[in-house]
Amino acid sequence: MQMRPAIQIQSIVKAMTDVVLPALDPANKLAQEQARLVIGLLGLMASQLPTQFAFDCDELERLLAFSHELQNHAHGGAETAAAVTALAEAAAEAGRVLDGARSSPAEVEAAVRALRSLSGDVITQVHVDGEAAARAAVQAAVLRMSKAQLLRDRAAMLPQGWEPDPAAIPPLASLLGTAD
Amino acid sequence: MTAAARFRGVIDKARPSPEWIADLRRRFPTEPEIDRVLTRKMERRSGPGFTPLPLERLVQGVTSLLKAELADPFEIVDARWLSGGASKLQMAFTLHWNAPGPDGVRTPQKTPMVLRMEPAESIVETSRQREFQLIRAMRGVVPVPPVYWCDADGAHLPYPALIYGFAEGVTKPTTAHSGVTGLGTHLPIDLRAQLAPQFVAHLAAIHTVDFRGRGLDAFAVPAAGSTDCALWGVNWWERVWEEDSDEDIPLVRLCAAWLRANLPVLDRPVVVHADYRLGNFLFTEHDARISAWLDWELGRIGDRHQDLAWTTSQAFGHLAEDGKTFLTCGLLPESAFLAAYEEASGLGVNAKSVHWYKVYNAYMMATLLFGTGYRVARGGKTHQDVLVTWLMGIGSMLLDEMRTLIEEAP
Repeated sequence: MQMRPAIQIQSIVKAMTDVVLPALDPANKLAQEQARLVIGLLGLMASQLPTQFAFDCDELERLLAFSHELQNHAHGGAETAAAVTALAEAAAEAGRVLDGARSSPAEVEAAVRALRSLSGDVITQVHVDGEAAARAAVQAAVLRMSKAQLLRDRAAMLPQGWEPDPAAIPPLASLLGTAD
Repeated sequence: MTAAARFRGVIDKARPSPEWIADLRRRFPTEPEIDRVLTRKMERRSGPGFTPLPLERLVQGVTSLLKAELADPFEIVDARWLSGGASKLQMAFTLHWNAPGPDGVRTPQKTPMVLRMEPAESIVETSRQREFQLIRAMRGVVPVPPVYWCDADGAHLPYPALIYGFAEGVTKPTTAHSGVTGLGTHLPIDLRAQLAPQFVAHLAAIHTVDFRGRGLDAFAVPAAGSTDCALWGVNWWERVWEEDSDEDIPLVRLCAAWLRANLPVLDRPVVVHADYRLGNFLFTEHDARISAWLDWELGRIGDRHQDLAWTTSQAFGHLAEDGKTFLTCGLLPESAFLAAYEEASGLGVNAKSVHWYKVYNAYMMATLLFGTGYRVARGGKTHQDVLVTWLMGIGSMLLDEMRTLIEEAP
């Protein structure tokens, strides 16, 4: 996906700074202040986005170690034991989540970019020195993969309102399998 | 370096090296003026982004240009910004000057004019020289605004620019609503009936005018009976994709290969507008007369099927009131449009060539939206990066159309 938050935020900040802010009535102090806050918060968001996932993983790892410490130290009556059991269950689940999150979003994005680019090279080259059957098979594979991916890309852009028949595009959450 | 390592090499497109620029020029030969404009873009890429310019700076630039062009005194008044479009900056003004009449005699005039200037990098990088020449050449063929002067290299203004006359009219009824760049406009039935015959007749006139001897020396003429025209076009946009794209798209790579494998033969070189659609002409509301055709910047001497494929794109039309009949550019059914075009121009329509150019147009649009759109916004190169970024969102729908077109190719 090319239209990632980083480029969106950068463009919004530039529009706010170069066009919107200078056009605001200098006497409207509230609008002046809030426009600057919008720019500031967007800047903060841009700086946090690349590290947000790592930040959460880092915190989760610390909390996991902390919960193990608590389990070791928190001896008491039935109520304490019940609370420790609940914490242990949650810690076990958190451990599984953390193991699954060892690859950062940046690494996943880098892998996506590499596979897009290198598969693109294969497509180009097979049309230079590949056999006809290979070209046909590659074309079929590209069209098949693109059909599935573009459905998700279009679903991700639904809020923009471009789709002539939005109901024909499934919700992104259902396509990604993250729907409740 | 192993072959695999060569493919994994990283190129810094924000700071392109002279060697890489030279390699692109060698790999993707295009018309000389297109090559000049793209090379200029790449040589300037590592320079500063676009910063807002005060109107006074543009007035100074126009003054400098006019001092070089005019012997008599002049005055620029009522300078103001114009909005519209996603690619160029526009300033309206009135020029008080001694204007030449048809007999060559100069008389004092107050002429409304428009300055059309590039930003640091545009979502579509084109030649002001070609645009200037093409509009001038179309005078008397179809309604166009008068063009006066061109600062092709930005010698007087901050960036390359041209100055043309202010044309009266609107792109849509004053009561209508549409999206950015004029897409999504719906016209009343009676207005359609009045505009449609002019719409067809003007396209036929553009495609049948003898372009030779009309001062179009910034254009190369592809040979009839060859695939040069189509090949130059694919080279143009594949070069731009290589220059500008960030995240690769396998379907775009396939599309380029498909286009090269299926190049159509040109039967007759003609003037191609390349953005002929509702939203790119002005009409006067009191008599529903088309008063000016605009946005000639992508024009070329090429294949009429490029225009036909573009004009009949689903993106520029909508369904009629019956909910079934698709109206080309919201004006008339496609079959009626093509039949009227054939009759008015005397030129046939080759369905296979139209299909190829539909794929070609989708390739160009994908390149502009995903490749150039990303690159100029990332570099902060335009006066409306936020609009360019917003438009990127329509790209996936367009890619899906490209996919279907390749699947359904005859």
